[in-house]
Amino acid sequence: MDAKYLALVQMAVGGGVMGMAYALVAYGFQLTYAAGKAVNFGQGELVMLGAFAGITLSGIGLPYWAVVPGAMVVGALLGWFIERVAVRLALKQRNEGWILLTIIVGLFALSSVENIWGREDRPFPVPWPAEALDFFGISFTWSELAIVVGALGMMTLVELAKRYTMAGIAVQAVSADPDAAELCGIRSQSAISLSWAVSGAAAAFAGTVIGPVTTVGPTMAAALTLKAFSVAVVAGLDSGFGLVIAGVALGAAENLSGYALGSGWREAPGLILLILALALRPQGVFGKKIIRKV
Amino acid sequence: MLKVENLRAGYSGDDAVRGISIEVTEGSCIALVGANGAGKSTLAKTLCGLLTPRGGRVIFDGKEITGLSASEVARRGLCLCPEGRRVFGPLTVEENLLLGAYPRLPSFGPFRRAASGDLQRIYAMFPRLRERRSQQAGSLSGGEQQMLAIGRVLMANPRFVVLDEPSMGLAPLVVKEVFEAICSLHASGMTILLSEQFAKIALVVSNYAYIIERGSVVLEGASKGLAENPAVMSAYLG
Repeated sequence: MDAKYLALVQMAVGGGVMGMAYALVAYGFQLTYAAGKAVNFGQGELVMLGAFAGITLSGIGLPYWAVVPGAMVVGALLGWFIERVAVRLALKQRNEGWILLTIIVGLFALSSVENIWGREDRPFPVPWPAEALDFFGISFTWSELAIVVGALGMMTLVELAKRYTMAGIAVQAVSADPDAAELCGIRSQSAISLSWAVSGAAAAFAGTVIGPVTTVGPTMAAALTLKAFSVAVVAGLDSGFGLVIAGVALGAAENLSGYALGSGWREAPGLILLILALALRPQGVFGKKIIRKV
Repeated sequence: MLKVENLRAGYSGDDAVRGISIEVTEGSCIALVGANGAGKSTLAKTLCGLLTPRGGRVIFDGKEITGLSASEVARRGLCLCPEGRRVFGPLTVEENLLLGAYPRLPSFGPFRRAASGDLQRIYAMFPRLRERRSQQAGSLSGGEQQMLAIGRVLMANPRFVVLDEPSMGLAPLVVKEVFEAICSLHASGMTILLSEQFAKIALVVSNYAYIIERGSVVLEGASKGLAENPAVMSAYLG
């Protein structure tokens, strides 16, 4: 194969891998939006906290297979906590204050991280070797493979749980018609709490697979929220695996535009995508009411 | 079994239910009749916990349940089959039925075996639901959705069923079918409160009826007597 062509494919693949991570973070938006019609604008901060929790658990000597679930528990508790202390209060008053509240909680998390762990980027320890694998001339690392397998595995697992457990079916019922769900004896508030906990766990899990590739620092949060948000806007907040396609496309586009136009343009595709999606089909995102407030 | 005392409720603005008192004894079928907008549905929603009352009390089985959430009221055995059916459109027929039994089923464990006896009972009652059990509930016809809504309520093994406008939007033949199901339910000993615009059919299936107008009970009595009284029929029920 032509070397230049191969380099482009290599770049697209590398970007697509990061795009899988964006899709996983965006999936967290979908989960809470389905059940409670709200999302966490501090989702990127949860990813970052999950990664730092993972580094800390590694630091006290836990093996990797215990670090990941440990970080997920931390993420689940944080997700549950954000819904409980911030989002629920705003939704009770029937306003969109939750948008600002989740941003504030995220900023609080960010400055806490800077105070506790510092501003330096840190490596995320992993048990697998650092050398690259070769696949028909395209090389990728074990850590990149972990992102792909982890993101797809996590989303598949949650989707299966939604279909094949009563708790999951109940969350779908609350998302379709909360009043009718209450009439079945389903405590809709518990279903919403559950979805926030799962969303938080997914974000923290994302942190443990993204961390080994990007290193972990306070700056990762804002960029991830924005990119995941772009992906969710394009794919819609109710269409399961459309996220993966949108995420991979965005990741690949970032790398290629960085190459073609210079590294400063890396962030451009996400922003252009966001602006276009909001301009062309705002109702496809949050519905008219919320867009007006944003 | 159910006692409603001077209940007041509404959405924004004026009360839609203005001090209604009714009583339902175990095993009876009581009808609430009245025109569209008389306050029947507001009353049904309020006593099942979907709306918070502004005054009055609801007593079920000797215990006050005023102001409890709908899920708590349902878990005590007072179940509402809501106006407009409200089936979960994106979910399958069988998932809808399973959700009716939600409080009894394990949240994360195997649930199909725990529910299979009850599912078979509902499928025997409504064979068409068995045929369509893996179809999305939103794709059913209006009549089938009404059967599903009733089946879902029965999956809860309720001790008291409130049926809100079960005939709404259905063709006459289908209405007949739905009411046959309600009659056989009553014959099997279920306590029923039936809110219904079609006074004629409601008075045929019920033992006792309350006529509701502008949020108040204007007349009550044995259904048979009300149905045979031409003055009542023309004055309140058109």
